[in-house]
Amino acid sequence: MSNRSKGWGIAVAACVGLWLVQNGSQDVTPPVPSAAQAFAAGPSVHTDAAADPLPPSAPVRLRIPETDVDTPMTRLGLAADGSLDVPPEGDRNLAGWYGDGIAPGAKGTAIVAGHVDNAQGPAVFYTLGALKKGHRIEVDRQDGRTAVFTVDAVEVYANEDFPDKKVYGETDRAEIRVITCGGGFSKKNGYQGNVVAYGHLIGVR
Amino acid sequence: MTGSTARAPPEDPMRTLARLFTGTALTVAAIGAFAAPAAYADNENDRENNNDHSFQSLEIYPASASPGTHVTVNTLACGKHGHGVGDANSLGAGEFQLEPSTHKEVVVGQFRVPEHVKAGTYGISVACDNGKTARGDLTVKHRNPSGHVQTGVGGSIGPDSTQVTAGAAVLAAAAVGGVWLLRRRASGAQGH
Repeated sequence: MSNRSKGWGIAVAACVGLWLVQNGSQDVTPPVPSAAQAFAAGPSVHTDAAADPLPPSAPVRLRIPETDVDTPMTRLGLAADGSLDVPPEGDRNLAGWYGDGIAPGAKGTAIVAGHVDNAQGPAVFYTLGALKKGHRIEVDRQDGRTAVFTVDAVEVYANEDFPDKKVYGETDRAEIRVITCGGGFSKKNGYQGNVVAYGHLIGVR
Repeated sequence: MTGSTARAPPEDPMRTLARLFTGTALTVAAIGAFAAPAAYADNENDRENNNDHSFQSLEIYPASASPGTHVTVNTLACGKHGHGVGDANSLGAGEFQLEPSTHKEVVVGQFRVPEHVKAGTYGISVACDNGKTARGDLTVKHRNPSGHVQTGVGGSIGPDSTQVTAGAAVLAAAAVGGVWLLRRRASGAQGH
């Protein structure tokens, strides 16, 4: 190899190094669901038929295999303003479910929430915005059964336009909502919205 | 009935209501106060006799209620001047009294849906003093949450330190390579 080509190699390496440093210095934000994952973009390619709802039983663990989520579940109530309480912030791998509402797998809308991050870094639902239609959400229940849901849509809403009825409303099937923060971040106001994954029960193990 | 409900403390109006109507003097006073004129008594009795063989309907309002809210029940089963005892034990709300209503041919009672009752459908029954029974269903629904959740503080947002480190390493290697190349050139030039 000539000195000239060695010189070129070093120049290219220097450029790559500069690009890595420059690009890596920009803020990385949690994944945001694409428009293709919204209900408006049409149903999932494989829309699995809804399974018969199970009797109520508290959830103990939730898994999303595609994004390596595997978390214990805690019971959540309502805050004084009527919003859903959230799991303790210190625990980065802990999701919660609305314990006075529908249990995952039972008929109706089961509500699950978890942090996208805490002060230390990414938390249990950091990757929620990367979920896609047809991905699986599995919930182990106290009765020993595992409720398997398929993702119908992943949508993002501004805090002030949160669609209560769509997210929390009743349904005749066994459905699930998984909610976390997302949709843009400002240092002053924090996260400006919520990411919501919608799913329905397709099987029981 | 409405007057006694208004006086009851919000945390346990049902018990207060029951106490009001089981207490002797108050019961007499209340029944006296609520007793309507007996003008329609004959019609009422005819209607009751037609339905004698089965449970009569119990109107429950609202038919679907959240924990902590009050539910009013009324029925024609007990007759115009009747009295009944309601059974809401299915959802842990105990018994409640039904007294004649001021304007209608019904008896009315009220109970409170306990805070910790699970969502579901619960049977409510009323046993009238005249021996008849009325039944109805109450659906307990929990209030849904409202609004967005607060599930992040931004601690995951920041530069990609892995990428920055890798970039710095590549830059350093390029610098070392550059120095080495320049030196070799310099020594090569000296050699000639």
